[in-house]
Amino acid sequence: MSDGTGGIFMHAQRVSKWFGEVIAVNDCTLTIGPGVTGLLGLNGAGKTTLFKLMAGLITPSQGEILVSGQHLRRDVGVFRRVGFCPESDALFDWLTGREFLSLMLRLMGYDGPEVARRCERSLELVRMSDAATKRIGAYSKGMRQKIKMAQALAHDPDIIFLDEPLNGMDPVSRHEIIDLVGRLGAEGRAVVVSSHILPEIETMTRSIALIHRGKLLAEGDITEIRDTIHDQPTIVALTGPDPRGLASFLAGRELVKGVEIDDLDRVVARTDHAIDFYRALPGWLLQNGLQVDEFETLDDSLQAVFDYLVGS
Amino acid sequence: MPVYERGYRRWERSGNRPTPAWWAMARRGITSHLKKRGFLLLLAAAWVPAVVKGGFIYFSDVTRLLGTSWSDVTPAGFLEFLVWQSPFVLIVTAVVGSGLITRDREENGLALYFSRPLTLRDYIAGKAAIIIFFHWAVTLFPLVVLSLFGYAVTHEATGSDLLVWIPLRGLLFCSLSAISMALVLLALSAMGRRTVFVALWWILLVAGSETIAEIMGQFRPWLKIVDFAEQYLNAGAPLFGVARLDGVSPLSSLALVIGYTLLAVLILRRRIRPVEVA
Repeated sequence: MSDGTGGIFMHAQRVSKWFGEVIAVNDCTLTIGPGVTGLLGLNGAGKTTLFKLMAGLITPSQGEILVSGQHLRRDVGVFRRVGFCPESDALFDWLTGREFLSLMLRLMGYDGPEVARRCERSLELVRMSDAATKRIGAYSKGMRQKIKMAQALAHDPDIIFLDEPLNGMDPVSRHEIIDLVGRLGAEGRAVVVSSHILPEIETMTRSIALIHRGKLLAEGDITEIRDTIHDQPTIVALTGPDPRGLASFLAGRELVKGVEIDDLDRVVARTDHAIDFYRALPGWLLQNGLQVDEFETLDDSLQAVFDYLVGS
Repeated sequence: MPVYERGYRRWERSGNRPTPAWWAMARRGITSHLKKRGFLLLLAAAWVPAVVKGGFIYFSDVTRLLGTSWSDVTPAGFLEFLVWQSPFVLIVTAVVGSGLITRDREENGLALYFSRPLTLRDYIAGKAAIIIFFHWAVTLFPLVVLSLFGYAVTHEATGSDLLVWIPLRGLLFCSLSAISMALVLLALSAMGRRTVFVALWWILLVAGSETIAEIMGQFRPWLKIVDFAEQYLNAGAPLFGVARLDGVSPLSSLALVIGYTLLAVLILRRRIRPVEVA
């Protein structure tokens, strides 16, 4: 990656935003690199404000946000590297899908055949070619979401902000968009997806930024974040031919806080240091002739991490 | 750390010079209206006075005997033509301009515009250009056509008047009034929540102030200064070598027009934000 920013597409440094006496975002520092990042938070947590700050739509009361090393609102040309898909139905109902995309591309500085080429490509990307000549006013909710996605992607941006992109989509479209978001991230773009529906985010990425009451609570990989929550030990279930032998062995390990055997005859171990536990486990098994057929972490799902951090 | 492979192209300028953002907006707005049959009929109706005046000019040997100003190809005659066009200016601008910002605000469309390389100035210029174009379509364009037609069929005015000076006076007058009116209408549009109410406010401002001025002018002629649209004509009248309002100097009207325009710019700067924050 040779963008001159060391692979960092967006950096928010101690950003705060007040609306009158209400503080919506409080001293947030956040870095977004290539790949998909989920921005999570309950309704009213400040997620949308942080999202709009990052997308350059509002300016912070304090702190600064740099996109590719530059201020978006000071140099509007940087917006050519940004794609934004708003949550609201911000569309021009009197235009057809193609006319809408064409206008959005011309505003980006494209003209002539390049507009036509990019229109067709982005319509194909969201599988909307058949509906391109229909007026947007006649689109279903899912189609409106897709055309909003198309306008965010049509100019090949480096950093893409998708605000609740799966809202109102049918299961097939949902699957297509999740797949598309994954591909965009794999291409090396920075894709920031905002949602309050955790399973949606979990299908797209393991990398999250969690905001609550205006403060950034956690940022990074879900498993790594889970590992830092020491007051809630990680629960690991192990299945093997000798559960009792395995349980008594694990009970003596320093990394293991507690062991029990559940109704399914699985050994359920609790640890404060899940990553160290996973690293040590193969060595323990080999050295002591123990066998484990499969294991799984029961509470490093996004929902569990979210509940631990925010409080269910 | 995953290894990413860039499989896409960054933005690159296409062609020699990219389309300015304001022009992209203006072009879309203009073509959208030109596709509407009802609107084209309105534009055609707005050209009826020009066709009638053209007929009077063509048959000026006969029509002069009627003693009307319709066949007049002097600067004063063309200003009179612009006065006849005032009702069409009011209707066309109300149709075209009322929803330009209201609709964007209504549908949170401002976020879409301002997430692109677009400044507030580009946005306002793009929207204003749509109003200015249609203002010209019912004022400047017929005036220029009539002027050239007058040159072709009459021998009353000198060639330089009809070919150069009258079109230039028209251009200056129509440009200044169109720019100022566009900004005032956009300011109303930026303040409104519903297009229909903005249109009503605009009609009330133009037609309502004219009615009030008519009544107040009975008592003191200078009270005609409250007539919104008349100030544009009065300020521009010296360009056509005539005076319009008793008791209100063209300079006073010009100062008032500049005042409207500055107020409109101030409102636009305050009301247009990429994101509506409650």
